[in-house]
Amino acid sequence: MRWLALLISGPMLWAFLFSLIYALHGWACAGGSGPEGLDGGARMLLIGVWVLGLIAFIPLLRLAPSGQERHQRLPRMAVWIGLAATIVTLFPVTVITSC
Amino acid sequence: MTDIPTPAAASARADSVHVAPAPAQRALALHRDLTRVWRNDRGLWGQITAVNHTTLGLRFMGTALVFFAIGGILSMLIRAQLATHQGAFLDTALYNQIFTMHGSIMMFLFAIPMLEGLGIWLLPKLLGTRDMAFPRLTALGYWCYLFGGLIMLTALLFGVAPHDGWFMYTPLSDATHSPGINADVWLLGVTFVEISAVAAAVEITVTILRQRAPGMKLTEMPLFAWYMLGTSAMMLVGFPPLIAGSVLLELERAFGWPFFDPTRGGDPLLWQHLFWLFGHPEVYIIFLPAAGVMSMIIPVMCRTTILGYGAIVAAILALVFLSFGLWVHHMFTVGIPHMALAFFSAASVLVAVPTAVQVFAWIGTMWKGHPQLHLPMYHICGFFLTFVMGGLTGVMLAIVPFNWQAHDTAFVTAHLHYVLIGGFVFPMMAAATYWLPLITGKARIRGVGEAAFWVILLGFHGTFFIMHLTGLMGMPRRIDVYPDNPEWVWLNLTSSIFSFVLTIGFAMFVLDLILQATLGQRTRRDPWDAPTLDWAMPVPSPSYNFASLPISRHLGQSARDAVLSLARGEGALAGAARGRRELLVTSVGVARPHHVAILPGNTALPLYLSASIGVFVLMMLAGQYRLAALALVPVGALIWVWARGMAPAGDLRAVEVAPNLNLPVHHCAQHSLARTGLAAVLVADGTLFVSLLFGVAFLSVVTPATPPPAAGADTVTSLVGLGVIGIALVLAALVGRLNTRSAAALGLGANLLALAALLWLAFSQMDDPTAHARDALRAAVAGYVGLHMLVAAAMAAFVLDQFRRGEITPQTQGALGAWQMWQHFTTAVALLAALVLIAQVGVS
Repeated sequence: MRWLALLISGPMLWAFLFSLIYALHGWACAGGSGPEGLDGGARMLLIGVWVLGLIAFIPLLRLAPSGQERHQRLPRMAVWIGLAATIVTLFPVTVITSC
Repeated sequence: MTDIPTPAAASARADSVHVAPAPAQRALALHRDLTRVWRNDRGLWGQITAVNHTTLGLRFMGTALVFFAIGGILSMLIRAQLATHQGAFLDTALYNQIFTMHGSIMMFLFAIPMLEGLGIWLLPKLLGTRDMAFPRLTALGYWCYLFGGLIMLTALLFGVAPHDGWFMYTPLSDATHSPGINADVWLLGVTFVEISAVAAAVEITVTILRQRAPGMKLTEMPLFAWYMLGTSAMMLVGFPPLIAGSVLLELERAFGWPFFDPTRGGDPLLWQHLFWLFGHPEVYIIFLPAAGVMSMIIPVMCRTTILGYGAIVAAILALVFLSFGLWVHHMFTVGIPHMALAFFSAASVLVAVPTAVQVFAWIGTMWKGHPQLHLPMYHICGFFLTFVMGGLTGVMLAIVPFNWQAHDTAFVTAHLHYVLIGGFVFPMMAAATYWLPLITGKARIRGVGEAAFWVILLGFHGTFFIMHLTGLMGMPRRIDVYPDNPEWVWLNLTSSIFSFVLTIGFAMFVLDLILQATLGQRTRRDPWDAPTLDWAMPVPSPSYNFASLPISRHLGQSARDAVLSLARGEGALAGAARGRRELLVTSVGVARPHHVAILPGNTALPLYLSASIGVFVLMMLAGQYRLAALALVPVGALIWVWARGMAPAGDLRAVEVAPNLNLPVHHCAQHSLARTGLAAVLVADGTLFVSLLFGVAFLSVVTPATPPPAAGADTVTSLVGLGVIGIALVLAALVGRLNTRSAAALGLGANLLALAALLWLAFSQMDDPTAHARDALRAAVAGYVGLHMLVAAAMAAFVLDQFRRGEITPQTQGALGAWQMWQHFTTAVALLAALVLIAQVGVS
């Protein structure tokens, strides 16, 4: 079970960050940011959560087993999947401001 | 056999994945013994009481095929109507019913049951076991599927079928705009059918995790099992949002609770979110098993091994998760903020990567092997051509500006048919032609199948490739008549003509199956020289699959080498000496032998239970809500009877599984299949709860809604009530660990006290749920928690009864573990619900 937990930890972290940032974004937009974009504080909050999320992958990468056996490689690949998904799907917080 | 061990001692007993082979026995004697124990009863009653996975898997697939034919006939009616621009073949009302039913049937009554049926039929054979984890649940799922489907079909015959599209968008489907029972048929019928989907997901998960042959590690199991594990996990998380949405919409229609009514604080977009939270993962739920079929058949057809096993497993994992981050791409045009559009657009593009990894792995496998063009390979080629095109148009639709242009046009219709027929129907046809010898014991007759493939391929692309153009030229979806635009008229007529060609092709395919089953010559064992365990058995497959269960030495052999050894009883748990249905339960990771599960025999209980649920559904449809509540009494009574069937009884001594390996029966073991199954149920249940909380958050924060009326609740009184509930539930959770009769009695009392406090709060403090969506959602969350308290109380009462009967002893736990798990879950959701509702008051 521990192996399975490790296997899904990276994608789970992505899912958590994706949900959290989407929710925060909705909350910020509903909280008064106009159609021209998020105000500075809300934008920094989103970027901050994203960066913290990326940092949170570091301990996961360290926890992932080393070695080239399949049961060792798979958890490592899964963490990288989560990290890549976090970078690609949430990078818009840095460049798009519109509500 | 040895004495009855305690659960802890039983867990410590098996410490190796290596099981010694048993001495050979007479194969015929084993076969007779096993057939006597595992076969269905005779006659029609025998079919009704069957719980065997082979019977039910085939029945699922056969029924799904019938629904596919019905859905196909409806599509013919649609294309006949659209063949000319002012078609008078159908009137608008009937056309709306037909296109709604076409989509609903193909999704809920064909694709999902077909993949469930394939998994139920194939997985035990592939993993080296004799049945699914919960055979009665398999049967219950089938009956719920059948009855739910029949309700929907009957509604179509009587002209009251759903007519708001397979997505049932509000406000089209609310009581104002859809006043008859049409929308109720969809909401209740589909939810009824979904019982089978969740049931299948639970037992597929448990079977893969706990019933693999000893030594078959997770990282070495056949790829189809990985695909089905991903699928079942997605079903456990993907279906609850739709169930939550359907229940909320039915509550709105039946009782006026305004979750989706913007004039009373609701929002139609909440429905879209809940629907597509299910609806997009649904595409991958359908695709993954089909991809699993590809990963099984391609290496065999190419006489090699799969390329990139690890990369494919990683791709499955990526698809399972990423597919839950795409749902908003179905809502790009509803006015989503730009940044959110970018999140979902990026995720929608990214999901193409793991899909492509699999496609390249399959191409690489063909490249390194020696492909042989047998009939399954034809359909695999059809998959590549069709699915890759559908995938590419999917990437186009992931790009927001293009999506805005193509949204709700025939282009999207073409795309989804390329994905679903390419990504599901072609692989399923490959699967049918590949595994039919194992079902019928017959070899196929050459000619018809190949011709059917070419006709289907031609008919499909002739119908739907052209539809891309029709859509790009601006023709909307779901319209029954259209203007006399020359550029639309000829394209539509051409699509209609080819759609009939497609239907002829499918008819030829079915004819090929029938010819093989009836006129084909007897086939030899393992006709494809496949290496997997599904072929390491006689053809057609017997009801028990394996005379003895495969052990480590069989996993390294080809199916042809393993089959005789297994038939002679040289594996584990040979024969049926104790005259009961037994299978081996193993550990999750490395498949270490853990205990022996005793499965129930043939029974009509699943039929009775699904029929009683059906009565509840029919009462709801008829608007007889009091009678519907009454109909839940037999449901509860039958569930009690069902649980009684799981009570410890008979010979509970440890079983000799193999030389020098005695294992306890499941009544005496910790971590039984039921425990794993309940954990899976709670994952689905928890997702349902989170879906409700999503509704609370969405309507509280995002929606610029009509302000709610002033709350009538007294703060101090409400907090006292919540405090009583919290203390009672925490007490129930704590006493559950004590394993005594008095603790069970205390747990029962605590749950009843919490339930009484909740009812008192609901009737004295909560505002009218019909006034505003905020109050409606609070009532819905309170109802969810209350239902769980009621179940927790019933489980505590059941445990108390087991203590009274002497069924809970130091050796046997009975239902104690299940009650404890449920009680902890109930306590956690109740506390969380209270915190969220208090926070919501703060936000308001």
